Amino acid sequence: MNANLSFWRVSLAMLAALLLSGNAAWAQKAPMQTMAHKERAQLATGAAFSPDGRLWVTGLNANNQLFVQSSPSAAGVKPQWTAPQLISTGDDALSADGENWPKLAFGPKGWVVISYTQPLAKPYTGMIRMLRSTDGGQTFSAPFTVHADRQEITHRFESIAFDAQGVLHTLWVDKRDMLLAPKVGKKTSYVGAAIYRNESRDGGATFGPDLKLTDHSCECCRIALAPGPDGVLRAMWRHVFGANARDHGFATLNTADAAPVVRASFDDWHIDACPHHGPGLALAADGGFHAVWFGQRKVGSEDIAAVRYARLKPDGSPLPETVRALPDELAEHADVKAWGTRVAIVWRSVSGATSTLKAWLSEDSGQSFRLVVLGQVTGDNDHPRLVQQGARMAVVWRNVKEVQVHDIRF
Amino acid sequence: MTSVSKPNQALANELTMGRRAWLAAVAGTLIFMKNSVIAQSHHASAAIKKVVPFDKSTWPRLLRDGPRPAAYVFTTTYCSTCPEAFEALNDAVVAAHKKVELAAVVMDVTGARALAHAHHYAGATRIYAFDGFEPEIRQTVDPKWRNVTPYIVLIDRQGAVQRSIGPPSAAQLKAWLA
Repeated sequence: MNANLSFWRVSLAMLAALLLSGNAAWAQKAPMQTMAHKERAQLATGAAFSPDGRLWVTGLNANNQLFVQSSPSAAGVKPQWTAPQLISTGDDALSADGENWPKLAFGPKGWVVISYTQPLAKPYTGMIRMLRSTDGGQTFSAPFTVHADRQEITHRFESIAFDAQGVLHTLWVDKRDMLLAPKVGKKTSYVGAAIYRNESRDGGATFGPDLKLTDHSCECCRIALAPGPDGVLRAMWRHVFGANARDHGFATLNTADAAPVVRASFDDWHIDACPHHGPGLALAADGGFHAVWFGQRKVGSEDIAAVRYARLKPDGSPLPETVRALPDELAEHADVKAWGTRVAIVWRSVSGATSTLKAWLSEDSGQSFRLVVLGQVTGDNDHPRLVQQGARMAVVWRNVKEVQVHDIRF
Repeated sequence: MTSVSKPNQALANELTMGRRAWLAAVAGTLIFMKNSVIAQSHHASAAIKKVVPFDKSTWPRLLRDGPRPAAYVFTTTYCSTCPEAFEALNDAVVAAHKKVELAAVVMDVTGARALAHAHHYAGATRIYAFDGFEPEIRQTVDPKWRNVTPYIVLIDRQGAVQRSIGPPSAAQLKAWLA
């Protein structure tokens, strides 16, 4: 019997060992089998002034939960942030990195909307999601999808704004047309992506149909929006002209049909690549626009990459003599706002671990500028976001420790 | 004795049968598990299952001590032009019948989120993911590079470096694989 007991004991031990080794083998199949790593903080943050002058921000906290918080805002006064208010987004994952960040917009009647891109499991796909408030941001709805198209395809890099009539405009990069285009070999014949948009006249309660703004946008750059002198929104985006010249298009959001695209930049940068570096746009005093963008252009025999500034005519075409590079070879992700003849351009300049927040300020509608250093941080940080309410302008700049607010002083 | 021994013999016979059955089951399990592990390890050789951290010290080390020839395709999870550039590069390597290091370097996410894009990089010998402040690491690769992707670095057998934004030209590929 002892021999038998020993046999069973050994056998059971063998079986246990086998099962354990089997578990190890099964575990190796698991898709999460990666080196232990901390996820990068998603610091990209949206900011806006509310009608009562408070400064609001929205972003993801360390647990990737959406939050909003606000502060009374007065020039020169340190922000007194409310405690972050967590906003439920259900099971949504959220993009909050670089050019794809949660955004916040205030409309009339206490309407507030927060938008974000929800990346889906299939790479490069996403849905534009939104939450709405009818009580000035005290409470928010559950998230909902903004567009009518529900295919598991690219709907990403959204931009939102209320126009002067209180109509909410949402624009996004969309690849539905690419999927329908014939293929040449394994490759689609469709160049780039499209920009689609829709409108809501009730603060996001309902939306009109998906409208195509243009074919052949770049695939992964933010879309800039600014009101024209008539209160109608204008859009500027990176556009693929011809086969692969990635310059910028400009259009007025006043027609249900695809808008005529005006070429707003002429860097003639031919690349089959993704700059991930969208433009900025602001209304100028004369009814034209101030624009900033990143691109590469030939100067003599050299390819010079730079963030550039130019004045655009009211139709969006550039005034060539106004084109100039920002005074910083390391400038990236610039933004622009204007009020009367005052123009503020801000950008991040990174050298090693150190990031410097710089501003180029003009009081003569962009004819001349002075350079100002607003701040500096070490380590991970977001792109600077310019916010404006009338003449008041400020830069919101988040890093791993805090959300900084820098007043623009001309 | 016999009458006593019979049940014992029966028990012994049953035990023998039980041992045989048990051993057969164990052997079967062993064979199944062994094959399962073999199959898994075979699969593992075809599919990359881990992401290697790429921090600010990685690029100087790769330039100094890394495998050659090598190609590094810097990419992001939002770069829809990147998989095609990687595929063209892999096609060139396969056509040249060369054994090279062909690495994808994911710049915007780490760990499992980077690995989720691995299927876009068929033929990759390694997948790295930026581990730290992205611009700081990027500047160790090229101080003038402004995160346009795909950004591709080709290092030939002698260590000569070529760079391209987007797919490399035929001339670059020829020089790299010479």
